Amino acid sequence: MAKAESYSVPESTFWERLKTFVNAELINIFAALLFLLLAIFLLYPILAVLIKSVKDPQGLTLGYYLKFFTKGYYFRSLQNTLLLGFINTIISLVVGFCLAYLTTRGPIILRKPLKIVSMMPLIAPPYLFAISLIILFGRNGILTKAFGFNWSIYGFTGVVIAQTLAFIPLAYLMIENTLMSLNPNLEESAYDLGASEGRIIRTITIPLLTPGILKAGLLVFVMTIAEFGNAAILGGRTPFLAPDTYTMIIGEADFEMGSVLSVILIIPCIIIFFLHNYLLTGKKFTTIGGKPVASEPRKMTLLVKVPFLVIGFAAVFAILISFGVVLMASFTKILGVKNEIVFSHILNFDSNRAIYNSIQVSLIAAFIGAIIGTLLAYVIVRGKFFGRNFIEMLSLSGFALPGTVIGIGYLLAFNTPPFKLTGGIMILALNCVFRFLAVGVEAGISKLHQINIEIEEASADLGANFMTTFYKIILPIMFPAFIAGFIYTFMTAIVSLSAVVFLVSPGFELAAVKIFDAAVYGEIGVASATTMKLVAIVIFCMMILNYLTKKTGFDISQKKGAI
Amino acid sequence: MERKLGLTILVSVFLAALMVGEVYAQTVKAYMGTSPENNVKIVNFVKEKTGIQILQTFQSFGEIEAKVKSEAPNFNADLIVGCGSPLAFMAKKNKWAVLYDSPGWKGVTSEFIDSDKNWFNIANFSFVLVGNRDKLKEKGYTMPKSWNELTDPKWKDQIVMPSPLSSGTANMIRYAFLALHGEEQGWKFLAALDKNIHHYTRSGNAPTDLVGRGEFLLGITSDENVKKRIDEGYPLLWSIPEEGIGYDGTFALILSGTKMMDACKKTIDVLGTQPFSDMMAGIGYMTPRPAPNALYGKTTPKYIKLDLGWAAENRPKWNDVWKEKFRTEFK
Repeated sequence: MAKAESYSVPESTFWERLKTFVNAELINIFAALLFLLLAIFLLYPILAVLIKSVKDPQGLTLGYYLKFFTKGYYFRSLQNTLLLGFINTIISLVVGFCLAYLTTRGPIILRKPLKIVSMMPLIAPPYLFAISLIILFGRNGILTKAFGFNWSIYGFTGVVIAQTLAFIPLAYLMIENTLMSLNPNLEESAYDLGASEGRIIRTITIPLLTPGILKAGLLVFVMTIAEFGNAAILGGRTPFLAPDTYTMIIGEADFEMGSVLSVILIIPCIIIFFLHNYLLTGKKFTTIGGKPVASEPRKMTLLVKVPFLVIGFAAVFAILISFGVVLMASFTKILGVKNEIVFSHILNFDSNRAIYNSIQVSLIAAFIGAIIGTLLAYVIVRGKFFGRNFIEMLSLSGFALPGTVIGIGYLLAFNTPPFKLTGGIMILALNCVFRFLAVGVEAGISKLHQINIEIEEASADLGANFMTTFYKIILPIMFPAFIAGFIYTFMTAIVSLSAVVFLVSPGFELAAVKIFDAAVYGEIGVASATTMKLVAIVIFCMMILNYLTKKTGFDISQKKGAI
Repeated sequence: MERKLGLTILVSVFLAALMVGEVYAQTVKAYMGTSPENNVKIVNFVKEKTGIQILQTFQSFGEIEAKVKSEAPNFNADLIVGCGSPLAFMAKKNKWAVLYDSPGWKGVTSEFIDSDKNWFNIANFSFVLVGNRDKLKEKGYTMPKSWNELTDPKWKDQIVMPSPLSSGTANMIRYAFLALHGEEQGWKFLAALDKNIHHYTRSGNAPTDLVGRGEFLLGITSDENVKKRIDEGYPLLWSIPEEGIGYDGTFALILSGTKMMDACKKTIDVLGTQPFSDMMAGIGYMTPRPAPNALYGKTTPKYIKLDLGWAAENRPKWNDVWKEKFRTEFK
């Protein structure tokens, strides 16, 4: 019977049928296209690294892995890397939590300044701290000379300090964001029932924060073990996987061993990624909280306040000093040798082109990334096709993939025709797009979960086709997620080094790479001055974006928190 | 409405960023391996004389070698201005270079130009021993007279030198010691030296700055920036120990597949002229066309006898030995 009915539909022209088909299947078409993009720009490069690590001219081999596990050097490198990751993650989480607690529940006058300083490292290249540590604690450093210290900043301790300072803001931001969306009623009730603040933190706040803390931990861990600037500048002869990979690829063209190191670097990240997903299933309670209820902030008890303030202030002080000395170094002729004020570093315009390239790449990446991220979020939430979970996992995997690995993957995958992209600007932009995609996708997913599909259904029922619905309903709803993706990609892309360092070519240099080169080279003045210029430009761009988004009616600080 | 306005502005900013592109008339892309500041000097010189803008990235010789090897035969640059002899000989062997009989290089001795016109040696450079005057005085030490003194335990963790994997200077240093002592004894010397090395830097000039800033007492470093750093006020001492020093060329060549052949040729031409030699000698290089040297003056330093072609052949083997000895296992 049903068959007969469907035959009774009047014959339509090819175009009309195509239109109906596209209209009905648009979401699946989008999904297919997006999957293709993810496969080319995310899966294929990673696969290229994997293949390279097991292939020699004779065929498949595990020889390179054997070498890795039998040589003491590589093993030490792995050990150091993991240790660095764990120590860093723990310190960053503790400090990040203290700062987040202070800026959301602490003394009102301290909230804003603490917040600003805690986020400062986000706008500078992570290895700013290596530069500042050398200025302060190097063998001829300011503090070394002033107090006659006899310890060396070069080595494991130095790298840990620099990396921790660099990644505290990441931990802080994510924990603060969860803390803000936490309904304070639970804490209030416990307080009214007579629980001490310490007990509330232990038994209510932290358990409720688990998803945020886990996510922050994952991100800090991955970033720490992958970002090699600090380790390369301060490490001395202490081996770490990421800078070793860099040396092998850039210095020796040893792609096989470099790929092995990359694969080894991915393993802990993937394990933590899955562990984090597993631990989070069924623990999404924080998102239900919705907007925080305005209530009179409780005064922090002294027993909690003092240690939190000590930890928070120590971190904030270290960050401020670091920025301070780098600013100072950019106006000093030869720091520690000839302490004269000069403007030659600041007026050195050799890096202008690189800075310009950085802005261009970051803008392109942010724009493409935000669009792809928003679309991905949409098909993941609303689509009903096979492999939806896989696409979701793939697009969020950017969180867990070390930058060095993606960089090498791009170099291997896109160096030969027909996929030749190296030597141009697009490879830099695309690399940033797919590395930082996860944030836009996640922001989009959480936005979409907040709105009922009924709005879209209503629009469709009223006769709007998919495009109209998309344009009139979905786009406005997703716009904040678009902005979040845009800003995150822009900010991260402009200062990130670990992947793009493999992909720059003559004429397409980036500021972050240029600063790294200068710092490694020992030109602290030029490195500092270029860093300061980059910081100034990032702040300027953020102000413009802030103005634009305010014009469009969205509060940017809230969106940044969504990161 | 305002939301749309914002979106429009965002899009226009994005498009504007895309549109503002090349403004230079004629550009070539080059891998350049002299120090960052000398790269800029060369770029400015070429621009002033020919109007050609060189777009360049700074990399060490070893890094350029790695890059060119991994890109071959689809190079992402038009030419190389400044690489070491290993890559110059490798390029010749693999036919990566465009043969060019440059009118600008007429009358230059065979040490500076390839017989088949594959490569052009724009300047020779060497390595010297540098020390931090103030820090040495503080400790009551004097500059070593012989390379052998560097193995004295009192220098433990006080010496920096570049890594022969990434730096052409270090490749030259390593080979000079192997040539001086013979391979077997040479490696023994390098192993003894290694015990005192704090770390191996990526670039051949880095020790000059590190020692100059007082981070370390001694450095084995490229002579390229020494003069300039002393002039700038770094408390640097430099010397040529009694055994002598090694040398290597700074090679330029046109990479095959370039679409900017005319500009490449013009660039090569101008690198062979007397004014260019004058400029490079003013920095401290030994140049193809005789010019007064800023570092060594009229005297010629004592050189260790070298065979660069043979050294280039052996570089991969020596890299393996070096990795095995000084990186793979820890003391």
